[in-house]
Amino acid sequence: MANRLFQSIVQQMKDAVDRTIGVIDSNGNIIACSELSKIGETLTPDLSLIAKNDIFTLEDYTYKAIGSNQSGEYYVFVAGNDPFAEKYCTILAISFSNIKFYYDEKYDRSNFIKNVILNNILPGDIYIRARELHFNNDVQRTALIIRTTEPTDVVVYDVVQNLFPDKTKDFVISINENDIALIKETKAGINNNDIEKLAMSIADTLSGEFYTRVVIGIGTSVEGISELSRSFKEAQAALEVGKVFDTEKSIISYDNLGIARLIYQLPTTLCQTYLREVFKRGSIQSLDQETLFTIQKFFENNLNVSETSRKLFVHRNTLVYRLEKIKRITGLDLREFDHAIVFKIALMVHKYLQADPVKY
Amino acid sequence: MASLSLRNVYKRYPGGVTAVSDFNLEIKDKEFIILVGPSGCGKSTTLRMVAGLEEISDGEIYIGDRVVNDVAPKDRDIAMVFQNYALYPHMTVFDNMAFGLKLRKTPKEEIRRRVEEAARILDLSHLLERKPKALSGGQRQRVALGRAIVREPKVFLLDEPLSNLDAKLRAQMRTEISKLHLKLGTTFIYVTHDQTEAMTMGTRIVVMKDGLIQQVDTPQNLYLYPCNLFVAGFIGSPQMNFVEAKLLKEDKTFFVEFGTEDTKTRAGVKYKIKLPESKNKNGTLDEYVGKEVIMGIRPEDVHNEEKLIAEFPDGVVTANVEVTELMGAETYLYMNCEQQSINARVSPTNTAKPGDTITITIEPEKIHLFDKDTEKTICN
Repeated sequence: MANRLFQSIVQQMKDAVDRTIGVIDSNGNIIACSELSKIGETLTPDLSLIAKNDIFTLEDYTYKAIGSNQSGEYYVFVAGNDPFAEKYCTILAISFSNIKFYYDEKYDRSNFIKNVILNNILPGDIYIRARELHFNNDVQRTALIIRTTEPTDVVVYDVVQNLFPDKTKDFVISINENDIALIKETKAGINNNDIEKLAMSIADTLSGEFYTRVVIGIGTSVEGISELSRSFKEAQAALEVGKVFDTEKSIISYDNLGIARLIYQLPTTLCQTYLREVFKRGSIQSLDQETLFTIQKFFENNLNVSETSRKLFVHRNTLVYRLEKIKRITGLDLREFDHAIVFKIALMVHKYLQADPVKY
Repeated sequence: MASLSLRNVYKRYPGGVTAVSDFNLEIKDKEFIILVGPSGCGKSTTLRMVAGLEEISDGEIYIGDRVVNDVAPKDRDIAMVFQNYALYPHMTVFDNMAFGLKLRKTPKEEIRRRVEEAARILDLSHLLERKPKALSGGQRQRVALGRAIVREPKVFLLDEPLSNLDAKLRAQMRTEISKLHLKLGTTFIYVTHDQTEAMTMGTRIVVMKDGLIQQVDTPQNLYLYPCNLFVAGFIGSPQMNFVEAKLLKEDKTFFVEFGTEDTKTRAGVKYKIKLPESKNKNGTLDEYVGKEVIMGIRPEDVHNEEKLIAEFPDGVVTANVEVTELMGAETYLYMNCEQQSINARVSPTNTAKPGDTITITIEPEKIHLFDKDTEKTICN
């Protein structure tokens, strides 16, 4: 879009400014210019220097980034390196920034999707805008959130955008400094495993190529633009639930949260009531780390005492003693299925309350 | 110098799951080491700890002489290739390999040099201007490897890079990766769950289960001298036969006895196979006399040719053929011998068919015995 928009403004400004003016993209390619023959040529200033400076002069041109973001996508240039060139450059940059802002607001499909998933648009307007922007309302789409877990010097957004370059189908949106949303158009009938595999390929590419660890939350596949915000919220919820219950996983799908999803949707007060009912006052706090580890192994080994003791490298009687101790403290005999399931859920609820995740 | 050392390394997740326990391994410079084991055994987690993508809960990791526990992944001088690699669809092969370097602001000339060198090594030079959709599966895989090579790392970490390829391509890429290791002369750590990949590619193999190292050895030693029942069963295809048996001693001779003879009706048969003296080199068999053990025998050590039956008369038993599989160069016979399943790898000219009762011999020298409780090897 930018090329035509910028060229139209440049054409209008041409008569008012008595020198060559234009716009370059982030690769230095001239995308709009008062001298039409120059369009398509490449200027090769060091763009990182422009980004660091408000106004930058190199050889016969003066440059300034368009927009408030210094490391922007576009830069205006004016022929000459005198004070007038600087003034023209500043005026043109302000003008282009405003025009681009309004254009993005009104016509940018990516911006529209951003507004939809963040609920920044009235439900009634979604259908109208979707039609204006020629969105196909009948295709399936899935929201994925890619969250970087530690600071990285690689622009994850650029990598994801390059993995999904088809801007008519897939939308990559920066949500905040850690989260990037990918709204992916999916074929009808695609199953959750395929989406997880796709997410895994994103995570593996970022890990393998850029040493960047990410966790990816996946919402359910939805049909219709207005449903996208639900899929996005589910992806957010999946990440929150994963932070509590699936710490070892890097791909968390809302469809596969199991009992954790139920617990996540319960009101906190209800969870506290349940914990009070199951455990005597303070009894869960009196279980030390080793005991909790023993319990976890016992569950992992299907309540089998012999197998668990073998895995824990302890004598069978030691394990039985530990289970008796747990029974004394909590009143629950983990060798009995009913007690074990009550304990398992109570532990999950306890973990959930301690983590205090954000609710979406 | 790119030796690696993992000392008492643990990985415990906040939820309480222990993925890796007390992992100790010394990897020599330029070695091709394979981590193999079933899903969930901790092999990928170990690799990711070496890469720095997972924090280690305890222990130390050295690359060369440097402890890298707190070193950022990008500063560890490693490169990784994963199973689920993705290429940038709108970029050429050249740009796909160069993209990472561009983002790291590597000078253009240096990028060109590295990409062209990697392309030469991988035989991709004539494809540099193509886009991924115009490449075959194997070529795409080579581009993914190229993205790692251009980083010129000291250590390559490969996490099941061939899992998404079909069987034929996988076999081809196995050879390519082995060649690549020789060409690059760097240390390779390769994770797989496929024992064939492990056996054919590695200079040494680490067999893992439940986050624990079971055995570290050369492919041949793992095959011939497994340290426990798990390794014996995991390494080798078709897998080793396991027969529940009892160890007996008569005079100074040891026997393994198996079968289903009913003491009242005398129905069924009990077989006694005489063990050679070499099986009791360290006197380990004595403590198992009269106890139940597990006898292991590889399918290629079970024979039905008359010449071999005559050669090994101590191991002769009778079995019913249930299924036969002609593989081309060999035939697998799936048999039932006194309620125990036995699989034999025999000559393709063999004429046994399902329903036949045939005479086979178990080569006594090749018998492995395992402790039934601890599953550890008694003798190989």
